[in-house]
Amino acid sequence: MSSRPHSHSWLRWLPLLALLVTLPAAAAIDGTQILQKVDRNLEPESYEAYRKLIDIQPDGSRKESVLYTLKKGRDKVVALFLAPPSDKGRVTLRLGDNMWLYIPEVGRPIRITSLQSVTGSVFNNADILRIDYSAEYNVEAVEEQKDGLLLSLKAKTGDVAYDRLKMWVDKKQLLPVTIECYAASGMLLKTLHFKDIKDFGGGIKRPATLETDSPLFKGYKSVMLWSGLKKRNLPDEIFTLNYLPRIQELRK
Amino acid sequence: MKLAWRLRLRWLVFLLASIAIAQAAEEYSFDASAFEKKPFELNGYVQLKEDNFALNTAGAFYKLNYYHQPQLNDLNVTTGTMQLAGKLRQGIGTFDFRTNSDLQRDQLAHDHDNTVFEAAYSVRPNPGLTMEAGKRAMRWGKGYAWNPIGFVERPKNPDDPELAREGYGMIDADWIYSPGGALQTIAFTPVLLPVANNINSDFGASGYLNPAAKLYLLYRDTDIDFAWQGKGSRPARFGMDFSRNLLSNFEIHGEWARILQFTKPVTDATGQVTNLTVNATSYLAGLRYLTASDTTYIAEYYRNGTGYSAGEADQFYRLVDNAFATGNSTLVQKALSLQSSYGRPNPGQDYVYFRAQQKDALGIVYFQPAIFAIMNWQDRSYQVTPELLYTGINNTELRLRIFMLQGGASTDFGEKANSRRIEFYARYYF
Repeated sequence: MSSRPHSHSWLRWLPLLALLVTLPAAAAIDGTQILQKVDRNLEPESYEAYRKLIDIQPDGSRKESVLYTLKKGRDKVVALFLAPPSDKGRVTLRLGDNMWLYIPEVGRPIRITSLQSVTGSVFNNADILRIDYSAEYNVEAVEEQKDGLLLSLKAKTGDVAYDRLKMWVDKKQLLPVTIECYAASGMLLKTLHFKDIKDFGGGIKRPATLETDSPLFKGYKSVMLWSGLKKRNLPDEIFTLNYLPRIQELRK
Repeated sequence: MKLAWRLRLRWLVFLLASIAIAQAAEEYSFDASAFEKKPFELNGYVQLKEDNFALNTAGAFYKLNYYHQPQLNDLNVTTGTMQLAGKLRQGIGTFDFRTNSDLQRDQLAHDHDNTVFEAAYSVRPNPGLTMEAGKRAMRWGKGYAWNPIGFVERPKNPDDPELAREGYGMIDADWIYSPGGALQTIAFTPVLLPVANNINSDFGASGYLNPAAKLYLLYRDTDIDFAWQGKGSRPARFGMDFSRNLLSNFEIHGEWARILQFTKPVTDATGQVTNLTVNATSYLAGLRYLTASDTTYIAEYYRNGTGYSAGEADQFYRLVDNAFATGNSTLVQKALSLQSSYGRPNPGQDYVYFRAQQKDALGIVYFQPAIFAIMNWQDRSYQVTPELLYTGINNTELRLRIFMLQGGASTDFGEKANSRRIEFYARYYF
C-alpha cells in the first residue's frame, strides 16, 4: 500500500517526459518539411533554366556569363556556358558531392571542387550547381520571427561547401529571403539575397534575382538572374561525363 | 531667373534619376530567348603569339634541327592563329568542326598551315546512344600532363596540356547507361580507326582498320576507365585509369597501360641500331589539391615504358657529338633518322610534373600567376616555367611564360634545341 503514492507521482510526470522527448523530434520534422517545401518552391525537382551571372568589380566593371542549366532529382545538375565566347561550350556536372568541368578544347572532364569558381565569381561551384538544400543540410533549429522563419542548417557531411547556413524564409510563400553561409570555423563566407519574385508559369513563382556579397571579396558583388525556368523530364543518361559534349543539343 | 534655374535643376535631377532607374532596370534584365539554340553556330578565337628562343648551340637537337641551316643564337617567331569551331544541326544529326590556321614567320622562313582538327557527323537516336563518323579528337585518360591510355589520339603537349589537338578519322559510338545505386554510370565507347595512305597515315602502318574501345564506370564516386586497342597499325595495348576525390578539395588519379611487343630503335655511340621488342608498361600517378586561399597544386609522376633510359639517351647524344665533330654525313643521317624516336617530347622513362597556380593573385581579379616544372627524374635535368595569365578584359586572354631549361651535357633538357624561351600571346574569343 505504501508504494501506491510513489507510483502515482511517476505517472504524473510521464506526459511531460513524453513531451520533452518528442518535442525536438517534432521540431526537426517540421523544419525538414519546411526546407523541403522551400526546395520545391524554388525549383521543380526536374527542370531546365537559363541563368545570367553578373560579376561586378569594385571599379564598376562587369563580366557576364550565361548558363543553360538542367537538374534532375535531388542531386543531379548540369550547366552549359553559352557566354562569354571564351567559356562557350564549357559544361559543369554535379552528381551529389562529385563535380566535373568539361572544356571543349581539353575534351576530357576534370574533377573540380565545390569551393572553386569556374566563372571567377563570388558564386562558387556549389552555388552555381546547387542541389536541393534538404539533400545537403539537416535542420537543427527553426525560430519563428516577426516576418518569417529562421532555419539553422548544418551540413550532413564535410564535403558540403558551407558547414552551416542561416536561412531566413518568408512565412507565407515559403521562399528564402536571405541566406548566410558559414565555414566550420564560424566565419561568415557570404550572404545570398533573394529578390524580385516572378511568375515563371507552370505554377513556378520564385525570386528571379539572387545577389551575393562576401566579406572575403570586399567591394565585389555577383548577381544571378533566372529566366526560362520550366519543368522538364530528363533521362539519367544526360548527367554523365560521356554526355557532356552533347548537352547543348538538349536546348530547344 | 532663380526659378528658371530651379526648374532646370529639377528637370536635370529627374532626368538623371530616370536614367539611373533605367540603367538599374537594364542592369539586371535577362531574356533567355536571345540564347535559344540556332541551326548553325560559329565561334572561335584569333591569337597573336611572339616567341623568343635562346638557342642552345651545343645541344644535340640544335645541331640536328639546324643542320645545313644558317646558325643562330636566338630565334624570334611570330605566329598568327585562327581557330574556328562550328555546329550545323538538322533533325537528330549534328555536324561539328574545329579548324586551326597558323601563319608563322621567323628570321629564316615563313610558313602557313591549315588543319582540320575535328569534323564529324553524329546522330543521336536516343539520349543513351550516339554514333558518329569523321575526324574526332578522342581524349582518354585522367592524367593532366600525360595520358598513357591515350591510345587513339595524338600525344598531349605537357607544356600546354589544355591546347586543342588534331584528331584522327574514325567511326565511333557512345552508349551510356545509368543503372543507379553504387554503380552510377556505365558508358561504352567503341572506335574503328582506319589507316591508309591518305587517312591517318601518321597513326602507324597502313592497311589496317584498328579497333579500340573504352569502358567507363562511375562506381562509388570513383571514375574508372578500361581501355583497349587491338593489334593493327600499332602493337596491341590495354590499360585503365581512375580518378577520385578523397576530400572535396583533394583529388587523386592514376593511369596504367601495357603495350605488347613494342619495338623501339636503340643506338650506340657508333650508330649501331638495334630494334628492341619488349612488352612495355607505362603508368602515371597524380594529385590535384586546392587550398583555402585558392592555390591549386597539381603533381604527377609518369613512368614512360616506351621511353629511353638515361644510359640509352646518352649513347644517342654521343652519336650526335661524334657525327658533328667528325663531319661524318652518314652518321649525321643516322642520327637524323632516329630523331623521331629520341627527339619526341619527353622521350625519357621517368618524369615528374609539378604545377602551382594562384587565382586572383595580389587582389587582382582574373589574374592568375602560375609556375610549373617538368623534371627527367633519371638525369635530373628539368624545365621551370613561370606563367602570368590575365583574363580580366572581356573575351580577351593575355599570357606570358618563360621556359627555363636546365641540364648538363647528355641530359634530356640539356640537349634540347633551346635553353630558354619567352612566349607571349594575346587571344581574342568571338
